[in-house]
Amino acid sequence: MEVGRLPISASQRGKLIRAGYTTLSSLSSLSPSDLARGAQTAWDMLHEEQLLRRITTSCADLDNILGGGINCKEVTEIGGVPGIGKTQLGIQLAVNVQIPVDLGGLGGKAVYIDTEGSFMVERALQIAEASVLDMVEYNDLLRKEHRKCQVNLKPNDLLESIYYFRICSYTEQMAVISYLDKFISAHKDVKIVIVDSVTFHFRQDFEDLALRTRLLSGMALKLMNLAKTYNLAVVIFNQVTTKYMEGSFQLALALGDSWSHSCTNRVILYWNGDDRYAFIDKSPSLRSASAPFSVTGKGIRNSASNHKRIKLM
Amino acid sequence: MAPLKSLEQYPRIINSHFLAFCASHGILTVEDFLLHDIYELAALAEQQPDPEGLKEGIEELLSMVDGELHQPWMNGMDLLADSLQNKHVLSTGCEGIDLLLGGGLREGQLTELVGPSSSGKTQVCLQAASNVAEKHMGRVVYLDTSNSFSPQRIADFVDLATHNFLQNVMKNILCHSVFDIFTMFDILHQLELDLRSQNGPRRVRLLIVDSISSLITPILGGSGLQGHSLMVSAGCLLKKLAHQHNLVVLVTNHTVGGEGGAPKPALGEYWKSIPHVRLMLSRDRGNNTCSISILKHSSMVYLGSSGEAIPILSKETQNIMTRVTVVVMSLMMIFMIGTSIDYVPAPAPNPLYHSSDDY
Repeated sequence: MEVGRLPISASQRGKLIRAGYTTLSSLSSLSPSDLARGAQTAWDMLHEEQLLRRITTSCADLDNILGGGINCKEVTEIGGVPGIGKTQLGIQLAVNVQIPVDLGGLGGKAVYIDTEGSFMVERALQIAEASVLDMVEYNDLLRKEHRKCQVNLKPNDLLESIYYFRICSYTEQMAVISYLDKFISAHKDVKIVIVDSVTFHFRQDFEDLALRTRLLSGMALKLMNLAKTYNLAVVIFNQVTTKYMEGSFQLALALGDSWSHSCTNRVILYWNGDDRYAFIDKSPSLRSASAPFSVTGKGIRNSASNHKRIKLM
Repeated sequence: MAPLKSLEQYPRIINSHFLAFCASHGILTVEDFLLHDIYELAALAEQQPDPEGLKEGIEELLSMVDGELHQPWMNGMDLLADSLQNKHVLSTGCEGIDLLLGGGLREGQLTELVGPSSSGKTQVCLQAASNVAEKHMGRVVYLDTSNSFSPQRIADFVDLATHNFLQNVMKNILCHSVFDIFTMFDILHQLELDLRSQNGPRRVRLLIVDSISSLITPILGGSGLQGHSLMVSAGCLLKKLAHQHNLVVLVTNHTVGGEGGAPKPALGEYWKSIPHVRLMLSRDRGNNTCSISILKHSSMVYLGSSGEAIPILSKETQNIMTRVTVVVMSLMMIFMIGTSIDYVPAPAPNPLYHSSDDY
């Protein structure tokens, strides 16, 4: 009997025929689990989750509130006022994802999608050099415990593993994100995708707001799909805007209410006096908490008394 | 529409004589037959050589249409029996929400959770999933669109945390990641087939789609109404699954800005009438509690615009004194609910929602 005459939905028939099963006899030897794909029980997911490594931010306090660092398979949105250190954090993560597996990292590469032009290569080199020094130091510590490994990385190697895309319009942004699927299936060692920032091209001169909502939600789903399929972390940066709520003007993240549902986790960076703080605004498994951090010559580090905001006299 | 000729496989009654008779009156398909006046056809049959055979043919055709083309008619007693025996109430795991809903989530109904970002919708879904898998011995199907399904959180919700028990509970929660509406339709159709043939000690009792609005928003609007039709057919499919297989279906929706800045549920006017129960969640940033209220319920009536509800009682409402008592009691209940629902408190409120002088 032909598969085409089976009483199943048209989409399933199409799938079976596309997969090459045209007669019942070809199906009879398969088990249901071969055909069913995509579902996992919570038990399996729990074990997978415990084995996943996280990407450290190089700031111990920040890592603590994030439960160890930025998680793979999730989309993390980081928002804050201009000058708070979003791009610095992005560059730091792009370097930290390359920490070798022996030293506790992921040993992967990074994709950096720059929409604002704020990525400075000299700064990336500076952070990479500091990171290599840190790795060598950590390696020496491990050697004392007889667990050494070779750190052959040079700062230039770290820079080579960052794939950089410069975007100049929203159509380019949509195109790159659609292209990323093909790119990452060709470069399977990419473990983080950073979009800095996702808001820039959608804020000004967008006449049709309904179109903007559709494009943004479609883009969010594509990023979620990327994160899940290729087991990588997606970090997107957002800007702030003022919103009139509860009787006064307050700061809120840009792109509106419908975009705020398109991320798995949200972290908000803000000033508290003269210190930089990070706050977990939304997370399915992390508690809401705040932690201080600072931006130093070496990158993102723990907060210290001499790393405060510089006030112009 | 099917031509009458295809019914020749029932040669006893629907024979070529009957078909010729029908054809002579312009009836060539089943649709023509149903549109034609049956009494007139019977009267015309009297004038034919074999009136009894033709009339039997008409009866036979009518009974075939009745039996196979639509769902059987159910009367009120059947529906009541079905509702009492099959449509149970499942607790959500949170006492306050159960109290608000009059026991919990009802099987056979589509319940929607609406709320702005970070108001606790996913947490309610996770807790309901863990509760159904643990206490109601049911299986849960969780469709996740934003990678927010957290197995660690489910493990935290389970009371008895011994390894074997936890394994049993968590093996009965199945999570699919869906990122477009067509995948969701595929999964739901597959689920429908599985449910028809399900056997075994545990059956699927809860279906969660978190969140359905992120699947529908990319296709809504634009030049045509195709997005709206997909949305409505998704809603109808979910309600059909809920009714026919006695499932609780829970979906989440987000909010958009409404009049005066107050948030209103997304997905617009067409979606409004689809869920049976709509619940609005909101988070109070000041003291970090979440609150839940009813926007729409199919068996509760509203007292005020804030969404307070009283359950509709059958005979008692005719007695005015009892009605007043009911009102007072439910106001007390609402008061108790307002103070009893709180989630894990955070140590620091969201800094962006403070009017800060630094900026």
